[in-house]
Amino acid sequence: MEEKLLNYIYRKRKRLFIILIFALLFYFFLPLSLIFIPEIMNKPSFLFNLPWAWVYAILQFPMTWLFCSIYHRKAKKDEQELDAIKGEDVN
Amino acid sequence: MNPTYFLLLIYIIVCTLIITYWAAKHSGTTKQYYIASGTLTGYQNGMAISGDFISAASFLGVVGMIALRGYDGFLYSIGFLVSYNVVLFLVSEPVHRLGKFSLGDVVCSRFPGQKMRLIMAICTFIISLLYMIPQLVASGFLLRLLLDLNYSVSVLLIGTIMTIYVVVGGMIATSWVQIIKTVLLMSGTFLLTLIVLSNFNWDLTLFLNKVEEGTPLGEQFFLPGHLFNIPIEFLSLQLSLVLGTAGLPHILMRLFTVRNTYEVRKSLISATWIIGLFYFMTLILGFGTVALLGYEALIAKDPTGNLAAPLLAKVVGGDFLLAFVSAVAFTTIVAVVSGLAISATIAFSHDIFFHILKKGKTTEREQVRSARITAFIIGLLSTLFALRLESINVTSLVSMTFTVAASSVFPVLVLTIYWKRFTSVGAITAIVSGILASFIFVVLGPYVMNPSDGLFKTEAIFSLYNPGIVTIPIGFLGGILGSLLSKRIKQKETDFNSFYIKAQSGYSSRGES
Repeated sequence: MEEKLLNYIYRKRKRLFIILIFALLFYFFLPLSLIFIPEIMNKPSFLFNLPWAWVYAILQFPMTWLFCSIYHRKAKKDEQELDAIKGEDVN
Repeated sequence: MNPTYFLLLIYIIVCTLIITYWAAKHSGTTKQYYIASGTLTGYQNGMAISGDFISAASFLGVVGMIALRGYDGFLYSIGFLVSYNVVLFLVSEPVHRLGKFSLGDVVCSRFPGQKMRLIMAICTFIISLLYMIPQLVASGFLLRLLLDLNYSVSVLLIGTIMTIYVVVGGMIATSWVQIIKTVLLMSGTFLLTLIVLSNFNWDLTLFLNKVEEGTPLGEQFFLPGHLFNIPIEFLSLQLSLVLGTAGLPHILMRLFTVRNTYEVRKSLISATWIIGLFYFMTLILGFGTVALLGYEALIAKDPTGNLAAPLLAKVVGGDFLLAFVSAVAFTTIVAVVSGLAISATIAFSHDIFFHILKKGKTTEREQVRSARITAFIIGLLSTLFALRLESINVTSLVSMTFTVAASSVFPVLVLTIYWKRFTSVGAITAIVSGILASFIFVVLGPYVMNPSDGLFKTEAIFSLYNPGIVTIPIGFLGGILGSLLSKRIKQKETDFNSFYIKAQSGYSSRGES
């Protein structure tokens, strides 16, 4: 039982770290791009001619919601798998 | 005071006191008093988390900052929002599964012992008070500006109301005050946003042109770099903001007020939607202030920019809208300080009084009584501190809170939950090194050492206002070194595998899943 649970947790953790690293990279690219490639980030964009820095900053909002919703969907599936493992233990 | 302001203020106070009276009847046990018996739904808890998190600094400060500094003012909002990804992914579910009432419960589920509990309680206490005092001081200034009340009267009013909510109604009253605050704040901000946009016939190009005309920065207003021109400072602030929320006890304690991890996730996802939409609207309000009021008029009234939203409300909606926005600001302050007061109360009454002083042997009634007394003393002390510390630098304390949380509680939680070789000595060294480093670097930094307005009129020894980029690694390093160097010392510790399974799945071999 313990081994099954640890395997389940290992798979879950791997997915979690991938999504977390992706979310943090997406976020930290904002300050890093402003520091290292300001000439690109200051160029006018398609969005009312505002600099690209605005587009990337505003994009953080839908991306945060998207990451949360992906995580929630995965977590729901994980919980079903966990219930199945627990069910096996009871039986 | 204008009668409209007075009536709205009284109306809000009376409504919330009625809720507190109702909550008092349902706060007879520790479970009810500390965590509202875990009965909030995910959506309710999400609204309460937003109410707990969005402070007056966000509502008034961010709008002002965007109006004055453009793009860079908006970057604060993004750090605050993205920090919820870290809370959701890394700590939320394990914290809910391992804790009962406090962060002490979470860490002690792996490292049982009074010393550990005491340190976690002190840490929670320090962070909550560090955050509560500047909020109270800021509330004094804001109510003086908004409602023309004397500083001491403002602080006493907020302090008294906060104390009543927490002492009488515990977590139930606090949660509902925060939910009401979120509804008022979101509806007020939404209304103001619609009015601002309608002033430009919903033409965003015209709106942005007017923004350019209203600021002395002209088209430069939309370019980055008007606030953060030192890259390392900017990166350090973003790091503290994004990791700090996952170490704030008053936010983490809200993870105990729902019944399962599904509701925990729903709480945090609802909170990110509310907080995200709110910050998006503050962007329009900041622009609206420049376009409709103008930079010079804002600076003439308040050079800090904190009055941007209320002044904008007066321009577009007259006295009534100004009164409404002021009432929203008042509710915002009360909701946040109540959340902080209850987290400090639980740390003392549950961790110190119940577990350490009484060794877990006392009645429910006595525990609730001690919690109410603790809440009263915390309310009284924080109000007295705020009255005495009128001249303190509010920004430095708020910034220090995020830095301390990200450098102490956050490393301890992450290492406790995920690192097998972490030890109780490591947990203690992580907390101590994180807190000490934060204090030392803030004291040596330009908030405290500054030739023009610092506490010490001298050049700063450490050049960063936000030392997170140094102190967060110190907190982690303290934990890692402490663990590696203490491996040989015999320590009280639960078996890691069973702890880890419980943290990640809620399953316990003793059948407590």
